Amino acid sequence: MSPDPDVTEVTENGRRRIDWRETLFSFQSFFGLIAVFVAAIVFSPRRNGEILFLTSDNLFNVVRAVSEIGIIAIGMTFVILVGGIDLSVGAVLGLSAVGSAVLLVHDDLGVFPAVLIVLAVGLVFGLLQGMASALFGIQAFIVTLAGLQIARGLARIWSDGQGVAIAYGDGPNEAPVTFSLLGERTFGGVVPIPALIFAGLAVLAILFLRTSAFARHLYAVGGNEKAARLSGVPVNRVKIIVFGISGLLAALAGIVHAGQLNQGSPNDGAGYELDAIAAVVIGGTALTGGRGSVVGTVTGALLLGVLNNILALNNIDANVQLLIKGLVIVAAAALQRLRPSS
Amino acid sequence: MANDAPRLVRMTGIGKRYGGVLACQDVDFDIRAGEVHALLGENGAGKSTLMKILSGDITDYSGEIAVEGAPARFGGPVDAQRAGIAMIHQELDLVPGLSIAENLYLGREPRTRIGTVDGRQMRVWTQALLRRIGIDLDPRRPVGELRVGEQQLVTIARALSLDAKVLIMDEPTSALSTAEVEQLFAVIDELRREDAGIVYISHRMDEIGRVADRATVLRNGRIVEEFDARSMTAEQAAEAMVGRPVRTLFRASHGEAGEELLRVEDLTVHPRRVRSGRNEPAGISLTVRRGEIVGLAGLLGAGRTELLETLYGAGSAGRWDGRVLLDGVDVRPRGPRAALAKGIAFVPEDRRISGLVLEHSVLANTVVSIVDKLRTAGLVVSRRAEQANAAESAKRLRVKLSSLADPVGTLSGGNQQKVVFGRMLLTKPKLLLLDEPTRGVDINAKAEIYQLLGEIAGQGIGVLLASSELAELIGVCDRVVVLRGGRNVRELRTSEIGEADLLAATMGETAAGGAR
Repeated sequence: MSPDPDVTEVTENGRRRIDWRETLFSFQSFFGLIAVFVAAIVFSPRRNGEILFLTSDNLFNVVRAVSEIGIIAIGMTFVILVGGIDLSVGAVLGLSAVGSAVLLVHDDLGVFPAVLIVLAVGLVFGLLQGMASALFGIQAFIVTLAGLQIARGLARIWSDGQGVAIAYGDGPNEAPVTFSLLGERTFGGVVPIPALIFAGLAVLAILFLRTSAFARHLYAVGGNEKAARLSGVPVNRVKIIVFGISGLLAALAGIVHAGQLNQGSPNDGAGYELDAIAAVVIGGTALTGGRGSVVGTVTGALLLGVLNNILALNNIDANVQLLIKGLVIVAAAALQRLRPSS
Repeated sequence: MANDAPRLVRMTGIGKRYGGVLACQDVDFDIRAGEVHALLGENGAGKSTLMKILSGDITDYSGEIAVEGAPARFGGPVDAQRAGIAMIHQELDLVPGLSIAENLYLGREPRTRIGTVDGRQMRVWTQALLRRIGIDLDPRRPVGELRVGEQQLVTIARALSLDAKVLIMDEPTSALSTAEVEQLFAVIDELRREDAGIVYISHRMDEIGRVADRATVLRNGRIVEEFDARSMTAEQAAEAMVGRPVRTLFRASHGEAGEELLRVEDLTVHPRRVRSGRNEPAGISLTVRRGEIVGLAGLLGAGRTELLETLYGAGSAGRWDGRVLLDGVDVRPRGPRAALAKGIAFVPEDRRISGLVLEHSVLANTVVSIVDKLRTAGLVVSRRAEQANAAESAKRLRVKLSSLADPVGTLSGGNQQKVVFGRMLLTKPKLLLLDEPTRGVDINAKAEIYQLLGEIAGQGIGVLLASSELAELIGVCDRVVVLRGGRNVRELRTSEIGEADLLAATMGETAAGGAR
């Protein structure tokens, strides 16, 4: 700062001097991921000297498991950035998984129309939740809690409460073989297709949040809704669209889910919303809105995925797994509080 | 008169360092019994730091504090309170849902023999305290129902209930109407008679002359001058605070006003849901011409804010009667976005709550209103255009900052306000609505904002400015419209009147009769 109060100083590129502490914290989840990854290698069971965690089969499993939660978590990041929350995503995933199966198997639709219908259902479901929240001023928590029940109910009605197995073939009550691609790998059998979808979406979302006018508005709404409104930001529109995005991505995750498991059950995705929220929180996005990134969320989702995997590889009791996951989330949130300057 | 009174508090050689910044340096400060000691300085001069040290909020400092002659070192605010020092914060720390009595004795409620809270005792004590400072409120009323001014008085009563001998008041009048300020001053006079010592922090020169005995000016963490507050002039004080002669505080005249820009005809709002504490327009007529600055005067509750919000499309939803014409065209903005598109801009009353996203950068806060017009192709915003607009705006408004990427919350109040102004000016408005644009802004920034208003008007923008600072209304505006009870009751040309006339007009006959 200049001692002369009359001098206006504006650095041309507007970049702030980098504070190492801040840098450290902004990569917090990334360091966490590395730590968990290293721990996974160290604690991995071995067979014939081979580290089981690092086998391509196992890594494939990790990435595949991460993809579904990751796709949902990207949508969740948008919602949380505006200061909302979407509890319905797990149920929408179930709705769309069962919907895909029913449309492909019972209704004998082609892959393209089936996917399109399911995505539309997710999108509309999300938009409706957004409208209920924005236009009637109901808290997102309440709206999407109701949405969770409604989506679950719809899923059971759509499938008569039954899981629907997907058999592939050209005959009646068989799904087109193309749909089974979702369960396959590409690039020499290393990269699962769902991971490719997840990565593509993540890149799109990161670019979108960095460059678009909509994202500027979204961050402003999350940071201070009243100020955003008075600044001429179309607050309601932003909120509605954000819930639409979340619903759309949850539906996409449901399609992936059906493709990977070759079936759809109305109970699929139960509790996924909590994993998605955990990924967002571990990734450093503030639940109060206005601060956070998809990069963080992707890291958070990977961290959770690796953690889940290593616990399972070591045959840790499922209940203890839950306990450890809970502690990791609390630790991540506590670290956020130590962050300087915010 | 108070100079030989015993010293209640004596601070000697106080120093405090934040990283590389010396917030206080070798400061000597004392408070005598029965004295109001004003503490002046620009934002960042060290007033708050010094008072936080005295009230126990800051515990690592150098120097000494003596309370009534005995050395003291506080480990926290509770220690300071025990020693009889209480701070009345700018942000009122009351629990809205609890009654006045419950707030006063929160955490130390009197008990009956069987251990339940003794509500009757609490009310009796509260009543006595309220009476002592001359206010008449029912101790059972929830604090949330009180007006801001009354809440302020309740916080003073709470300090007294702690047996405070020294009260620190930080900008106590910033949210008060003229009548409430008078009531506060009466309370302060009463406290002075009871030999309390009061530290009074304020940006308003007129108040200091009225209420204080002594004034100490801080600049860059050091004491630069001490005045007899009663004989000190505003220019002297301003010069000491800024460290050089201050340009005339108010704007130079800005030429002739042009043709009519805004015409409000008998505007009445019938809100769909009536909210308590809101005073909707109930038959307001006024005009603003291009290049003209029109003031809105009135007591708290006269409906100034509500009128501005209504014109901006941010008021209560509901039916309108009457008409609002902008450039002869009927307008009724559905919301702020629509208002901005029509050329109506608004700077709200509380920049921290309704103006800014404090943790976001200056850049983001400056361009948020125009960001969707800075798109290159499709969805993508041009970063270069954002930079250029924000830098240009910061330069034009002389915002003091080290980088556009700094969080706007780290700027001083005046500079924050300039960011809000800059954002609105980037939308190229025809009409600028301002609600208390200089509240909580230091004197230098205030002068700059007045100058800026002159420039804005000079460009042919019409300005409608609501303020409870009479000197500001008279100094800045061409005309002042006085509101009372949601209607316009008088219109005055500022060249012909003084503050006393304006005060009388805002209070009106009925209010004048009610005031003591």
